[in-house]
Amino acid sequence: MLTNVFALYAREVKRFQKIWLDTVVSPLMSMVLFLAVFGIVSGDRMVGGLPYLAFVYTGLLTMTMVNASFSNPAFALVISKNLGSIIDIQLAPLPNWGIGIAYALAACTRALLTLAVALLITIWFIPIHGISHPILLLLGLVLTGLEFGMLGVCFGMYAKNFEALTFVTTFIVQPMIFLAGVFYPVASLPGIWPMVSQFNPMHHSVNLLRYATTGYADTAPMLSLGVIVSITVAVFVLMQWLTKKKLNS
Amino acid sequence: MIPALSVKHAGKTFKRQNAEPLEALKDVNLEIKAGSIHGLLGPNGAGKSTLISLISGISVADQGSIEVFGLDVAKQTQAAKQIQGIVPQEVVVEPAFTVREVLYYFSGMYGVPAGERDARIDAVLKDLALSDKAEERARSLSGGMKRRLMIAKSIIHKPKLLILDEPTAGVDVALRQKIWELVRRLRDEGTTILFTTHYLEEAEQLCDRITLINHGRIIKDGSLKDLQQEFSKNVITFELYDREATALSGVVADGNAYHFPMTDLAKDMRTLTEHYQSNIKSIRSEAVSLEKIFLELTKD
Repeated sequence: MLTNVFALYAREVKRFQKIWLDTVVSPLMSMVLFLAVFGIVSGDRMVGGLPYLAFVYTGLLTMTMVNASFSNPAFALVISKNLGSIIDIQLAPLPNWGIGIAYALAACTRALLTLAVALLITIWFIPIHGISHPILLLLGLVLTGLEFGMLGVCFGMYAKNFEALTFVTTFIVQPMIFLAGVFYPVASLPGIWPMVSQFNPMHHSVNLLRYATTGYADTAPMLSLGVIVSITVAVFVLMQWLTKKKLNS
Repeated sequence: MIPALSVKHAGKTFKRQNAEPLEALKDVNLEIKAGSIHGLLGPNGAGKSTLISLISGISVADQGSIEVFGLDVAKQTQAAKQIQGIVPQEVVVEPAFTVREVLYYFSGMYGVPAGERDARIDAVLKDLALSDKAEERARSLSGGMKRRLMIAKSIIHKPKLLILDEPTAGVDVALRQKIWELVRRLRDEGTTILFTTHYLEEAEQLCDRITLINHGRIIKDGSLKDLQQEFSKNVITFELYDREATALSGVVADGNAYHFPMTDLAKDMRTLTEHYQSNIKSIRSEAVSLEKIFLELTKD
């Protein structure tokens, strides 16, 4: 059974490799543009003892990763449904958990690959010297890739068309990014928004990865780790249920 | 001997928005002998594709049971899927991949070890005359080639039960012949084949047994010979030079022809030739075609 699941994973990795301009280069372009703008306007500004550019950089890396891992399975599944090629995974002897995991792992692979390329291109311009918590960083990266990859699978299974995909990207994912503390500490938000941010899964990914890299955190890092682990488990269960419901009528 | 396919009292109802639920299959019973070619015929919307989706494990039956070589499709889904190959009705290809890549990953999803895949792909592509297209993008293939690629996908893992849902729809005569040839060869090698088609002469040529389905129910099941016997008109049709000749009792005029009810072919022929003698212009007993049986059984 592992051969079957691995073949699906390998197919999905191959798919994003074939359209690397869209899947790897485009997100990098957005990130480089953001960095250029923030690099120019931030000057010598500091956030909690951390240069603002380093603060926003770790946020942008997480945002790039989250976008890549969410959109990879979501787009692949919605396209498959529209083309009718979803029947391939319905016919093949693949367990429901295996289908979800293969797509989520492919999403995680794309996210890590995008992240690695982004780092190679941009790290030279950022005032970050060393990694504060390497093991926590590795754990945070894998968990974040899987968490949003599985969310992408859930959405890809649920969505019927591209309009639904655009809706979620515009009205859910984008606001989540802006409330995640990518560009500023969530504590600086007015009113109830710092509290609302605590319910945003993306905030905890940004927070954990920023802490693991620089040692700076908006929220207790272990709380963020706990939230990420809990959401990952919950999304895995949801993904199983949705896969069964949507692929076996 | 375990049948290749055993469907017992299977039923499936689809819920519909703003409409009454659609009972697509009702109490369907079907058994297919291993190593045979079985035709599943029925008009559009009869329930053929729904039945195939239940057998293939894509849908779950509301009632009854389905076993493929003794494996319960509802309970042993992965194992039952593993020994099936399906060619869906709709031609669908992955646009991003080459023909070889499509087959490489698809066979992998059926558990074919990576080391064996290339050899199998080469053999299947050769069988389906697609070898020179191996490195081309699947989406750039012609309609007939895409159809062959679908067949290649369905046999790459050497299934025990192959289900072909209208595999020759929209293909040219030469390709249809090639598909027939392949189907016969697979049957001779031991693969059981369930075949749906709208071309009735195709079913007559290929199938060892035929099942007719309409409105979600099996309405007839048997060999072509059985069906022909059952639905035979049992008539001798003849034409006469002199149409004014005294009619034999039981003869019915039908335009220029006459029909005589047949009970024993030899005896009835003798009766007719003795009565009409050299006045008979032509005479024949009619074997009813599958098309006539089909139309007779599916007329509403």
